[in-house]
Amino acid sequence: MENSTQESQPRSANFITYESSYPLYAMALSSMPSVTNLNHQRLALGSFMEDYSNRVDIISFDPETLSIKTHPTLSFDHPYPPTKLMFQPNLKSPSSSDILASSGDYLRLWEVRESSINPLSVLNNSKTSEFCAPLTSFDWNDLEPKRIGTSSIDTTCTIWDIEKGVVETQLIAHDKEVYDIAWCEARVFASVSADGSVRIFDLRDKEHSMIIYESPQPDTPLLRLAWNKQDLRYMATILMDSNKVVILDIRSPTIPVAELERHRASVNAIAWAPHSSKHICSAGDDTQALIWELPTVVGPNGIDPLSVYLAGSEINQLQWSAALPDWIAIAFSNKMQLLKV
Amino acid sequence: MATGVQNQERVPVNLKKQLVLAVRNIQWSYAIFWSISAGQPGVLEWGDGYYNGDIKTRKTVQAVELNADQLGLQRSEQLRELYESLSAADSSPQARRPSAALSPEDLTDTEWYYLVCMSFVFNIGQGLPGRTLSSGQPIWLCNAHYAESKVFSRSLLAKSASIQTVVCFPFSRGVIELGVTDLVSEELSLIQFIKTSFSDGPQTFVSNKSIPVAGRTGYKKDFSCPSLLGCEQQEMASPNDSSDGYEPNQPAEDPFMIEGITDGVSQVQSWQFMDEEFSNCVDHSLNSSDCISQTVVDHGNAVPLSQGEKDNDNELTSLNLPSDDPHYQTVLSALLNSSHQLILGPHFRNSNQESSFVSWKKNGLVKSQKARDETPQKLLKKILFEVPHMHDKGLLESPEDNGARDAAWRLEADEIYGNHVLSERRRREKINELFMILKSLVPSNSKADKVSILDDTIEYLQDLGRRVEDLESCRELTDLEVRTKRKRQDHVERTSDNYDDNKITIRKKSSPNKRKACDIDEVEQEIDYVAFKDDSTNNVTVTVSLNKKDFLIEFSCPWREGILLEIVDALSILNLDCQSVQSSTTEGILSLTIKSKYKGSTVAKPGTVKQALQRVAWKC
Repeated sequence: MENSTQESQPRSANFITYESSYPLYAMALSSMPSVTNLNHQRLALGSFMEDYSNRVDIISFDPETLSIKTHPTLSFDHPYPPTKLMFQPNLKSPSSSDILASSGDYLRLWEVRESSINPLSVLNNSKTSEFCAPLTSFDWNDLEPKRIGTSSIDTTCTIWDIEKGVVETQLIAHDKEVYDIAWCEARVFASVSADGSVRIFDLRDKEHSMIIYESPQPDTPLLRLAWNKQDLRYMATILMDSNKVVILDIRSPTIPVAELERHRASVNAIAWAPHSSKHICSAGDDTQALIWELPTVVGPNGIDPLSVYLAGSEINQLQWSAALPDWIAIAFSNKMQLLKV
Repeated sequence: MATGVQNQERVPVNLKKQLVLAVRNIQWSYAIFWSISAGQPGVLEWGDGYYNGDIKTRKTVQAVELNADQLGLQRSEQLRELYESLSAADSSPQARRPSAALSPEDLTDTEWYYLVCMSFVFNIGQGLPGRTLSSGQPIWLCNAHYAESKVFSRSLLAKSASIQTVVCFPFSRGVIELGVTDLVSEELSLIQFIKTSFSDGPQTFVSNKSIPVAGRTGYKKDFSCPSLLGCEQQEMASPNDSSDGYEPNQPAEDPFMIEGITDGVSQVQSWQFMDEEFSNCVDHSLNSSDCISQTVVDHGNAVPLSQGEKDNDNELTSLNLPSDDPHYQTVLSALLNSSHQLILGPHFRNSNQESSFVSWKKNGLVKSQKARDETPQKLLKKILFEVPHMHDKGLLESPEDNGARDAAWRLEADEIYGNHVLSERRRREKINELFMILKSLVPSNSKADKVSILDDTIEYLQDLGRRVEDLESCRELTDLEVRTKRKRQDHVERTSDNYDDNKITIRKKSSPNKRKACDIDEVEQEIDYVAFKDDSTNNVTVTVSLNKKDFLIEFSCPWREGILLEIVDALSILNLDCQSVQSSTTEGILSLTIKSKYKGSTVAKPGTVKQALQRVAWKC
């Protein structure tokens, strides 16, 4: 797969578009800008091609000049589409090498340097060489940066110690495939599954998990999960074929705090604001990206979003990084856009 | 942005106390110590501060009653914490504020001003503290809220906070700044007082004018320490400096940019400038309500003014300010980054980039987007459901609920990818699975290889086939026996009936008397024609009934070897396909019931059939 000819089009001050030559799904923003130019924020974009050969490209974004720079050398192949990409969180300072993790058949780590990418490791949990359940998602613990939790279709979640390259623990998390996982603190994570439940696990007590929500129609899969890093009581999740974003309070299980129901089609991605505990953004098939502010008291008609952005087609991915709290990154069809909040 | 942590070491330990004392003594709103930055040379940044102004919401952890001193200290601490957490929110999102910590909505405007000051950094020579440090002279800024931003970069903030007077003077290795919400005309003795109080401890500021006298009063020199004389010179100079900066401004009624911070535009107080030249620090008017506890006198009127620069045209407009002072902008936006414009409200415009998002309207976006006839969440579902299976590593079967869906995905996947290896392998796996299932169904010996499984299956099927046949024939036999018994009776009856008559009876549906119950059972459908002949001599009875194309032949004759075969042959010659034959032999008499179907196009007459049969029967 050849490297695409990417364009960074000049734009109004509002948003920047990057067009790739293949459809995009996975996307990640680095937690620290590059050291050579403090204004260059790195983004990793994973392709979605229903084929064996897929690619991950790294580009950089300068919020001052509103420009996107592509780096043809910062690109690598990936077998089948990566289901998730994530840079290591909370880099202490801008450094010349950043680590990118990708999930697909295995969890892979890549070292992203200024002009090259080196594969660091491939984390494979299977005992035999044949069988390894592919991963649907993963999350990198920001308090304990050596810890990554992965979710898989074999109903398990695996917690890795990536420094040593070994499995810390593997839990059978659900009755069906696990679709997403999110860390809360160093030892607590939650996961959602095709069985329609959100469960919280504490690594100190692996025997028990807490179900804090189950989809109202039994066995409606929950597809995505996001934990509010500013206020750890709140989580958001989305259901399959649903236009609702369900906000949960872990202190009151089973009953959602709010259901945000203004999308006109099903929701594909959610992201909490990295700097505000009350704001969340969601994007879906109705091509809208909505920013919501969660009030303390919910009115009778439900909650209306604060603001809306209309993209060109269904938005499949949404990232709101703490490194760029003013910008929201969305991906739809072949394009990635950075929207000013 | 200043990181106060770095600077703590550079701030003298006692300074806090001194600041507290200083500001308390003169009852001003705040005191800030700007210290020379350790991290960045030539730059002044926040060292320490004490807030002594109005408070909106008190938040304390313990229920212990604190005295005024402690309350004030605690408040300042809380404000500092709030600032730290707001500014730290960028880098460490994990920071959580304790429950008793302040949040932005708890602060008054003045407190906000104080807090925002924490973010400011001044180059030497720039801004009020910067210029103070570079000149080494105190600067007394009246009507700070109307000052030009070049003079006082925080003037807008001050406006919202109603800080009207700001005083800076160099101290130690930095600059001390004091501010108050009232208009205090310049009184350099105040500054001196503060300086001395640092060394001496709590004092009461007694200005020269111990007698509240309206109007001019002399400024006694004996109060001030000798250095004041020296100061005078300086003081002469510095007000000029400071007065250069600000001009009499008509109150500007412009909307604030910082709507979010303030609750609204602070009331512009109309005041009168006395356009008098500053005269040797002599004439001051000090109308400050802050100083009520002190014996400070109201002076006359002269308020330091600009030197004849009555430029009414130079209005401060909030809109101009941002472009005039990018530093202010960046500082403000940097600080408020953490308490984001989202919190401040959607109207806040951060710097010069507008948001990509538009406000939500309830009934907006009536134009529908593309017709959603495709699968919802298509890509997401593919990522979650299909992509894992693409890896094709002998995955567990998905549960039944998703089974159909997965099968559909997989089918689609196969078609789309055209990856032969992939589909071939999958096919092989499927075959293996099916073999396993087959093995479980077939009672077999232990071998589990495919050949054995197939062998066993074949055997088993044949075996089953045989069993079925046996069972069926048994069933037929028993049926036939039952029937022939009945038949026999019937036959006998009939024989006996017609033995003598030797007539042909046409049996029709309408002649029920000829029908016996058993016949009715056997023959369900309408009988068209019946030929019945009885030949009692030979004990041959033939009954042929035709029902459309089906013949029912009841036949009895003396048995002989091979007769059955001949009968069947005879029938087949007549194009009759024997479907079932029930036979029994009793006492040398063969009784047959044959059901046969005519396989030709024209139906043979029953009579023909009968004759044929009879011929067979009569053969010997």
